[in-house]
Amino acid sequence: MATKRSIVEGDSGSQDLKRVKMGKGGDAKDDKFNPYLAHHYEDDNSNGNGNGFSSPLDKLERHKTTAAQASKCEDSDLNPWTGQPHSQRYFGILKTRRDLPVQKQRQEFLDMYHSTQILVFVGETGSGKTTQIPQYVLYDELPHLNGKLIACTQPRRVAAMSVAQRVADELDVKLGEEVGYSIRFENKTGPKTMLKYMTDGQLLRESMHDHDMSRYGCIILDEAHERTLATDILMALLKQIAARRKDLKIIVMSATLDAQKFQTYFYNAPLLAVPGRTYPVEIFYTPEPERDYVEAAVRTVLQIHATEPEGDILLFLTGEEEIEDACRRISLEVDDMIRESDAGPMKVYPLYGTLPPAQQQRIFDKAPEALRKGGRPGRKCIVSTNIAETSLTIDGIVYVVDPGFSKQKIYNPRSRVESLLVSPISKASAQQRAGRAGRTRPGKCFRLYTEKAFKKELIEQTYPEILRSNLANTVLELKKLGVEDLVHFDLMDPPAPETMMRALEELNYLACLDDDGELTKMGSLASEFPLDPALAVMLISSPEFYCSNEILSITSLLSVPQIWVRPNNARKRADEMKMQFAHSDGDHLTLLNAYHAFKGAEQNGQDVKQWCHEHFLSFRHLSSADNVRAQLKRIMETHDIELMSTSFQDKDYYTNIRRALVSGFFMQVAMRESSNSKVYKTVKDDQLVMIHPSTVVQSPYDWVVYNEFVLTTKQYVRTVTNIRPEWLLEIAPIYYDVDTFEKGEIKSALTRITEKIRRRQAMKGGR
Amino acid sequence: MASPPRRISEDDDYDGETPLERIRPFGTLHRKQIAFVPASGDGHLNSTDTAISSGKAPRQDVADIYLSMVLPEDVKPRSTQNTTSAGTSKDAAPPSVCEVCKLPMTPLAPEDTSQAPEGVPKPATPHETSLAHQLCLPHSHPPSALDRSRMGLTYLSTYGWDPDARKGLGFKQQGIQYPVKTKVKDDKLGIGMEVPKNLPPKKKETMLDAKKVRKMAEEEKRRAARIRQQLFQRDDLEKYLGPGAA
Repeated sequence: MATKRSIVEGDSGSQDLKRVKMGKGGDAKDDKFNPYLAHHYEDDNSNGNGNGFSSPLDKLERHKTTAAQASKCEDSDLNPWTGQPHSQRYFGILKTRRDLPVQKQRQEFLDMYHSTQILVFVGETGSGKTTQIPQYVLYDELPHLNGKLIACTQPRRVAAMSVAQRVADELDVKLGEEVGYSIRFENKTGPKTMLKYMTDGQLLRESMHDHDMSRYGCIILDEAHERTLATDILMALLKQIAARRKDLKIIVMSATLDAQKFQTYFYNAPLLAVPGRTYPVEIFYTPEPERDYVEAAVRTVLQIHATEPEGDILLFLTGEEEIEDACRRISLEVDDMIRESDAGPMKVYPLYGTLPPAQQQRIFDKAPEALRKGGRPGRKCIVSTNIAETSLTIDGIVYVVDPGFSKQKIYNPRSRVESLLVSPISKASAQQRAGRAGRTRPGKCFRLYTEKAFKKELIEQTYPEILRSNLANTVLELKKLGVEDLVHFDLMDPPAPETMMRALEELNYLACLDDDGELTKMGSLASEFPLDPALAVMLISSPEFYCSNEILSITSLLSVPQIWVRPNNARKRADEMKMQFAHSDGDHLTLLNAYHAFKGAEQNGQDVKQWCHEHFLSFRHLSSADNVRAQLKRIMETHDIELMSTSFQDKDYYTNIRRALVSGFFMQVAMRESSNSKVYKTVKDDQLVMIHPSTVVQSPYDWVVYNEFVLTTKQYVRTVTNIRPEWLLEIAPIYYDVDTFEKGEIKSALTRITEKIRRRQAMKGGR
Repeated sequence: MASPPRRISEDDDYDGETPLERIRPFGTLHRKQIAFVPASGDGHLNSTDTAISSGKAPRQDVADIYLSMVLPEDVKPRSTQNTTSAGTSKDAAPPSVCEVCKLPMTPLAPEDTSQAPEGVPKPATPHETSLAHQLCLPHSHPPSALDRSRMGLTYLSTYGWDPDARKGLGFKQQGIQYPVKTKVKDDKLGIGMEVPKNLPPKKKETMLDAKKVRKMAEEEKRRAARIRQQLFQRDDLEKYLGPGAA
């Protein structure tokens, strides 16, 4: 112990200095906590906390702490939360933490936090807000005294996980104990947890069972400027809860963009701003609009490489295909430049969501060295979707190339199609992108449009997700949360009435809401599942078709990214392998076959990773499907939903599954336009679609049920399974009430089938 | 990097310092440089860190400075368009603002009087007849086209949403009225690039060479023969001599 202490003191000399400085900067009233007099009141109330060790925290009083007190706790040799001695690594991290911009305003933050219930906090990227503010709150809320947790929400799962890990390291505790995280299908918290990072969707789900969020003493909504669907709903809920629960504190954290909007929304809550660490960025525009933005982007990257000093390049494009194409073109041209004019080397890395993590990691590699000593320096160029805009920070970027487009989700309630479309970005988004160039030193941003276009054509803010999404799931959650008045529900940006109406109607058809809009038993049960209502309903009704085990597997497989791997250099081979699992009646059934084969290989004790690689399946996604399945199974068991299978030998094995699919997805059905035609028409919405080329279905059938609608240059339906129209009339008679259909082929086809069924029944009755 | 950035496009002339092979353009794409223009005014992102930023004072609007000199102190700078445009008549008569359309009630505009013929009596209250005023009068809108039998509409109506009131959802019913529009982009045109809608199909200018001319002459000849045949053919002769007999 003694040696440990001396080591710690030896390398924390600078901290002592800091501590003194903090003391000066802090309040005058904390002279009682002069670190040099600490021994005087060491034993004041050493038995205060229940942890059985004396902790510097015992002297703190909830909601009356100061920055100096907290710093002192952080500096002590023993971890105030666990009683264990601090590791050496801890002090190393502490030192870097003290350099973060937020640290300077810790006292200011605490003063403001004490004075108000709701606080808007603005900190740019790099200010340290996501990791530090929750810890500042922790030292002030002292959760061990009243057992109320602190929650910090994140829009993305990865962020919740990685930030929780980082903060656990910073507090010198084990992840999952004092600090934990909770995301969909994964919960890493324990009875000791005081600070919990979670996705915003997860907090929303939790609140369905705890309308007052009574487990929490403070809720921090981070990255609120991203305006995700769940964050928007949470803000409206918290506004209501704050009125009921005066002891609940709320912090809304945002990047600078529209902080004032948050302030006004939360009854003019006080605002605290912390500057980030950004350098100025020079912005350039093209003199003329560009005819081809991809080509212009490639040219700009090469131009930077040829003419600008050292520094890495970040280029924003819209999608996988475009990015891979641009990467290839840039690499080829750079090779040419090196050969012809002695340019420096350049590494080009793609970056998009579906890229395997190992390859995503490569963007953090160092830029290549100059080819020879004294030669022109190398650089790296990252070609990314807009994940590099907010969620990911890459140091070393000095040049940003911004063509002004991104893929955005958009929902059209009239055709009921949710699609990812290439759209112009907003001004706020463009500024955010430009800001990426100024992280390490002054940078430059090249916009591939004119300044006039920037001012005139780009909208101010990106539309919040709530205006661009299908709200069926949200409405179900709100209903479960007891929100009845969907008209006056105080959202920051209320959605269009038509979108809301569609959501209500969809839930009505799924029998989750009755005709008066009241939550039914089915609806209440469906909301227990962290799934889209259609999937949840399918899962709940699957025992009626004697195949709940199989539907459970299919549901899990549909809840993870595509399990099929199709590398560019082995497409044909991958397709052949997929055909091994193919069931000619449907992609859903093919998914199921692949899953069963995967489980079989696992049971045979094969090297599953190798097996997946050989069969062009994603091991990562299959195992996460397996995990999802286990979670969903647990929910099914708690709600007494029977798990059963038809015997595999039974001729109805697959038919039952196909019928069960209809029970959830009867609103996603398409009928073939005419026999031998490749074009299908979606039921009720009358959209002309084709079956996505990735399908294995050989289609003797005229009717298919589909999992998703893909709108690219053509309209596709993906993951389809053949069905019989009789099933539609039988399983979803209300939706398929022929009288409600508009005149057309689908109506006449349905009438014919109704007629046929009637005749058959009459014959049976006659006998 | 010590060497200053080179601009290939600008110095085509050999400056005698850089080795020739360095200047030579190469490849296909990087030869076409884009002449970027820096953002105007305060378009650049300033550093938020006070230590780094140059500490420029916020720019005062020129118009504000001018107005503070010209206008009396109690008048707020840049109050409205009206005061500046109708500034001359400002002292003469207090501009009476119409309750309905919030526009100043001026007598007839000068060009109107000049155009009005002598004999026609002036309208009694010309302002009320103006288009702007008429449009601002409260009037009913055509009812919404939504299907009234929809379950969703019924639900929203029970909570006080009126489909015909032209209002959105929300605490003050301030939400958007219509869903965000979907627009498919299936080209690579950059932002601000406009394609004229009915572009006439491009006619290729073709150079005629001897071969083409000969071909055209042949075509012409064949057409003439066809017409001749159609005009002067005789069925009875054709019966004996076969088609094509004149």
